[in-house]
Amino acid sequence: MFGWKGKMLRIDLSRRNCSVEETPSDLIRDYMGGRGAGLKILFDEIDPMTDPLGPENKLIFATGPLVGTGVPAGGRYIVVSKSPLSGAIANPCCGGYFGPNLKFAGYDLLIIEGKSSEPVYLFIRNDVVEIRPAGQLWGKWATETERLIRSEMSEDFDEWELNNMSIVTIGPAGENLVKFACIMSDGGRAAGRSGLGAVMGSKNLKGLVVSGTGEVKIADVGGFKKAVMDFFEEGRANETLEKRRRWGTWSLPGRANKTGTQAALNFQSGYFEPFTKFEDPDFIRDSIRVRDEACFGCPFACSKRSRIEDLAYPGTTKGPEHESMALLGSNCGIGDLDDIYRANYLCNELGMDTISAGAIISCAMELFEKGYLPEKDIGYPLGFGSNEAMFQLMRKIALREDFGDLLAEGGNALARKYGHPELFMGIKGMGMPAWHPQGVEVIGLQYATNNVGGCHTKATLPFYEGRKDPERHVELTKQDQDYIAVVDSSVLCWIIYHGPLWGEKLLSWLQITTGIDYTENDLSLIGERIWNLERIFNLKAGLSKKDDRLPKRITDEPRVKNQVVHLDRMLPEYYKLRGWDENGIPTPEKLQQLGLEKEGAGI
Amino acid sequence: MRIKIDHLKCTGCKLCEVVCSLQHTEAVNLWRSRIRVFIKEDYCLPVIAGPYTEAMCNSKDVVLVEGKEIDGCVVCRASCPAKSIFKEPDTAIPLKCDFCGDPPDPQCVAWCDADALTICD
Ligand code: SF4
Ligand code: SF4
Ligand code: SF4
Repeated sequence: MFGWKGKMLRIDLSRRNCSVEETPSDLIRDYMGGRGAGLKILFDEIDPMTDPLGPENKLIFATGPLVGTGVPAGGRYIVVSKSPLSGAIANPCCGGYFGPNLKFAGYDLLIIEGKSSEPVYLFIRNDVVEIRPAGQLWGKWATETERLIRSEMSEDFDEWELNNMSIVTIGPAGENLVKFACIMSDGGRAAGRSGLGAVMGSKNLKGLVVSGTGEVKIADVGGFKKAVMDFFEEGRANETLEKRRRWGTWSLPGRANKTGTQAALNFQSGYFEPFTKFEDPDFIRDSIRVRDEACFGCPFACSKRSRIEDLAYPGTTKGPEHESMALLGSNCGIGDLDDIYRANYLCNELGMDTISAGAIISCAMELFEKGYLPEKDIGYPLGFGSNEAMFQLMRKIALREDFGDLLAEGGNALARKYGHPELFMGIKGMGMPAWHPQGVEVIGLQYATNNVGGCHTKATLPFYEGRKDPERHVELTKQDQDYIAVVDSSVLCWIIYHGPLWGEKLLSWLQITTGIDYTENDLSLIGERIWNLERIFNLKAGLSKKDDRLPKRITDEPRVKNQVVHLDRMLPEYYKLRGWDENGIPTPEKLQQLGLEKEGAGI
Repeated sequence: MRIKIDHLKCTGCKLCEVVCSLQHTEAVNLWRSRIRVFIKEDYCLPVIAGPYTEAMCNSKDVVLVEGKEIDGCVVCRASCPAKSIFKEPDTAIPLKCDFCGDPPDPQCVAWCDADALTICD
């Protein structure tokens, strides 16, 4: 078999056993891998109404046919589960080396079910699978956990073997079931949104160690080598990709701010004066960068490892990415780069999603400034720009201490408790990312219809060539959502494959690697099937049209460019294009076209 | 002709490992690559397989690279009984860089888009 490994590993933490299964051929045919395959397995095996933090929920680490092949920017993995933050489907994507290592160990997917009675971590090396005690690791921060696990292993393995292990961890936030805890891997990479760190925590699973000495086969090796060389050349000629290489996402905060489309002060504005210094992205690069850090097989190395001179923040961390700079920075009134670094560092180490943490803290800041949230409840003042208070609060959230315990429940819980649910800038309970939707209103539609909630990575932002014509925005949103579902199922990096070099590239990588004669049509059908099955999962989990909404601030209060987002105009058009009825429910014809009659029964 | 390594430019992408294994085995298997990259948070170190040694040496030591202390066994190019890399995973047959291609066209250099690997005379 080319591309796929053809095997999946299932580990039951309750019974402490594991089994190897064949990756079903119809699963591959209909859902490709990654996000799609994980979704289908989750859909078939859990009740969508299940408690996301209960033992019935499952956690699926999924790779795809392109992972570990060396396709440029094809080294990522997806984690699929039910989200404790939104109650909806969750499928964050993460880079580093873990995905390829899972393939080298021999598996397309890793399915984790049940709940361990005590803290454990998993050790997977080829066909050796061990459940090891993790009591000694409980409470440890993310990279410290990695370090301790490696030192435990150092008796049995040499430096090179240790170096080739990928370690996935949760920090204290995941252990304490913070609803927006993330899963960390490879020293600072995050499967960030949706709170799946809490799902790991609920299973008493502190980490996974994966390595393997196996191979991944490619159907047309000669064609593959040539295509990669061509891709290098195209990459060099592409201005956007060259920017990614030099600055990663650091070229964005200054630009977004300059155009007034950057989340600022809990989305009360699209501009934050202290961010003007980031208009020169070399300012960030020169101040904190240590090195460029590629995911497996990526020539662009957009990730930047960074450090500051502060003994309280030892070592290095990854980022802060644009989204983190916006949500932890401008959106919280924090303009100092070192302070943004500190906030990002704490999130990475405590194991919390930077975007969600920023969204919730900025909501608390606005509640405080408006006088709705009394200082005595927090213990200290928390206006916009309160850096030290914010760092302290982050630790409290991760440990669920004092006021942090409420924030750990998510933005909706906080804003409701103080009587102003409209002040949490979230969708399906998940805080919105950096791009202010009032900048280009289709962004609002993309956030509102995203199956996982307020997240920017499941459609193509309207800044790219071919994506700028407002007349076509709704139609292209549908098309791009379906396309990215296949990108996430293959698995390619969204940062590279969502705009400039797209469409035909995905198709040709899949053909060359797997030897299967895919057509554009096959892929869009797979993508649309995935999108619709996610929708069905959400409907069965109790979500509905009322959850496809934006915060009132975005639809009613012009804060950016004197514009509001007309979601009520775009949403019906979107539903219609999707073949859904006026309540956002897939019609029987659509279900039949996608082969989802059985899955969609009873919605 | 030699391969020059500028480890400060290395991003840890491992594309050199991918192509070296493709070149020699027609599949991706990093453990069959004649070049391996040692990756730490603040540096990456590509190492190319040199000659085989029958016994491990006595010079196990720490070396300094750009002010960083690194285990001498890590930077050592030998395929040696004491370490895991540069040997076939199943048979432990030692592997050595053969300056692949005919005429020589080191594939790892061609695939190092970051220019950490270059050819010099
Ligand atoms: S572009 Fe960045 S995130 Fe994407 S694969 Fe490359 S290094 Fe990883
Ligand atoms: S020159 Fe060829 S054989 Fe030697 S390390 Fe590079 S790719 Fe491998
Ligand atoms: S291809 Fe170049 S940049 Fe990538 S790991 Fe190898 S030496 Fe480093």
